[in-house]
Amino acid sequence: MFQYYFMLGLRSLRRNPALTALMVLTLAVGVAASIATLTILHVMSGDPIPHKSDRLLVPVIDNGPLAGYTAGDEPNDRQLSYRDATNLLANKVAGRSTALYGISVAVEPARKDLPLFNARGLAATSDFFNMFEVPFRYGQGWSPAEDKSAADVVVLSRKLAEKLYGDSDPVGQRLRINGQQYQITGVLDTWNVVPRFHRIIGTPDGAFGDEDELYLPFATSVRHETQRNGNSSCSGDIAPGYQAYLDSECTWIQFWFELRSARERGALQDYLNSYATEQRKLGRMQRQAPNKLYDVREWLDYMKVVGNDNKLSAWLAFGFLVLCLVNTIGLLLAKFSVRAAEVGIRRALGASRREIFQQFLIETTVIGLAGGLLGLLLAFGALALIAMQSKALTVVAHMDWQMLLLTFALSVLAAVVAGLLPTWRACQTTPALQLKSQ
Amino acid sequence: MLRMKNLSKIYRTHMIETHALRGFEINVQQGEFVTVTGPSGSGKTSFLNIAGLLEEFTDGEYILDGINVKGMDDNARSRLRNEKLGFIFQGFNLIPDLSLFDNVDVPLRYRGFNSAERKERIEDALAKVGLSSRMKHYPAELSGGQQQRVAIARALAGSPKLLLADEPTGNLDTQMARGVMELLEEINAQGTTILMVTHDPELAVRSQRNVHIIDGQVADLVRKAPTLVQPHSHTA
Repeated sequence: MFQYYFMLGLRSLRRNPALTALMVLTLAVGVAASIATLTILHVMSGDPIPHKSDRLLVPVIDNGPLAGYTAGDEPNDRQLSYRDATNLLANKVAGRSTALYGISVAVEPARKDLPLFNARGLAATSDFFNMFEVPFRYGQGWSPAEDKSAADVVVLSRKLAEKLYGDSDPVGQRLRINGQQYQITGVLDTWNVVPRFHRIIGTPDGAFGDEDELYLPFATSVRHETQRNGNSSCSGDIAPGYQAYLDSECTWIQFWFELRSARERGALQDYLNSYATEQRKLGRMQRQAPNKLYDVREWLDYMKVVGNDNKLSAWLAFGFLVLCLVNTIGLLLAKFSVRAAEVGIRRALGASRREIFQQFLIETTVIGLAGGLLGLLLAFGALALIAMQSKALTVVAHMDWQMLLLTFALSVLAAVVAGLLPTWRACQTTPALQLKSQ
Repeated sequence: MLRMKNLSKIYRTHMIETHALRGFEINVQQGEFVTVTGPSGSGKTSFLNIAGLLEEFTDGEYILDGINVKGMDDNARSRLRNEKLGFIFQGFNLIPDLSLFDNVDVPLRYRGFNSAERKERIEDALAKVGLSSRMKHYPAELSGGQQQRVAIARALAGSPKLLLADEPTGNLDTQMARGVMELLEEINAQGTTILMVTHDPELAVRSQRNVHIIDGQVADLVRKAPTLVQPHSHTA
């Protein structure tokens, strides 16, 4: 009977074309608004590295001054000082760890047709590429030995490599950066991790910005005193010079641990606590604030990657969908009320109330599917419009197959919910009354 | 085939009670052609609706083809209606956006016949009423007489034991009415029991038995000799 009712549903779309079009449009607009905002929320709040998100952890140690501090205050910064970062790199608890900070460099292309230009990059230790599963197109990252020796090596993003060398493999070639020759060890493939959880702090578009153009070893970047590109938090005066800056309590380095197993988190916490205690003996970290660890999802939450305004937009969109539903209920009541005679006939010919209920509910499902189809087109349009608003929104305003399925499911569910009252009323038709009035 | 004993039907509102049928008694035998007459408001339609399981009665007993219908739930009543009964209405009551084929198909769908059997039954029923060539047409493309023939085909397609007709010729001119009446007589001659409500005394005298209802009660039962039906061609 499902097939029969579905066929009747398709026919009924033609019965009152204007009313049907209005219903489909009302549903589609409500669904499109909800799906567009939900898509953005879904992409923003997605787990960017689900299989190891509980094993990648950010430490937050508060090394801020005691003056003006009240217990329970937020930490001075979510980044670490150079001293803490280099100390934590020596830990023996985590399987891997990396310290990273944003840099800005001048690239001097070998090609005569390309002028010198500035590039945005990241200074990190060699574990970075494995920890965040960065895809390589050519070559690989540098080695721990090159970390140690602060070798002049570089990894390029695919975009920068294509700009400089076209489609050819540049691994082994030398590239002049900030007046120094660097050997290229690898070229990344396109790395579309959203949100860019490893790089939330210190980029113009936060977790939804562009990928970095090149990567230098952390120690090399420090050795060359490469210009930093990111946030730095210093309290009090610091002596002049780069070494004084490195020795200061200024925080400017982001740090990540990778555990072999999520069960080791306790051990890492103990290590962090004992590290802070040790530093207190040296006169540092006088706030005695709790040392914290955040895994990827906790970190995204803590850094408010999905802002309250995004959540509010989603709620408003769902409110709009409810409004559309109320309108659809009214339209369905009108559509079904003129079908009372048909209900009477079908009842006389042997249809039970349950069969009438099924028939009308499947009809509303057909309307829901039509609304879903149109809603999908409208949602694509809405996302395209949203993407035009900013670069960050371009990254998140795209629909995946999950959202595509959800669009249809939401539309059908909305139509069925809207159809319940009209369908129930249609079932209450007294056949004798309708048959006589014909 | 149909037996009602001391049956009553009371319509209640918060203000008044209307006794549509009271102490109603009737017994229709298998193969009979019974007409039901009576003035407006006498209870004819209530009787037909109860007989057709479209309405519930207040009290009494109703046995349809040996089945006591009292207390049956909606599903059981609907199934019984679909299997045992066929309806013909004054206003034809065809579904306008379904073709003749699909209109006749409706009760067969609820019966659960497979596609091949439905097709055979629909073609047979439409052939019986002389509309084989117009299966793909829509009701609006037919005359009143033809529409009533489609309604008869729809009622017959499921091979009902009892055909309930509510003023089936009421909306037709004399010639069309005659054609429909002859068709009903032919169907009855083939063994289908017919119960027909009519205002037309001429049609009433053509049946084997006329039941006259006044004030919700059977006032008179007139039994006559069965009418001999001659073979004829259908016109509408």
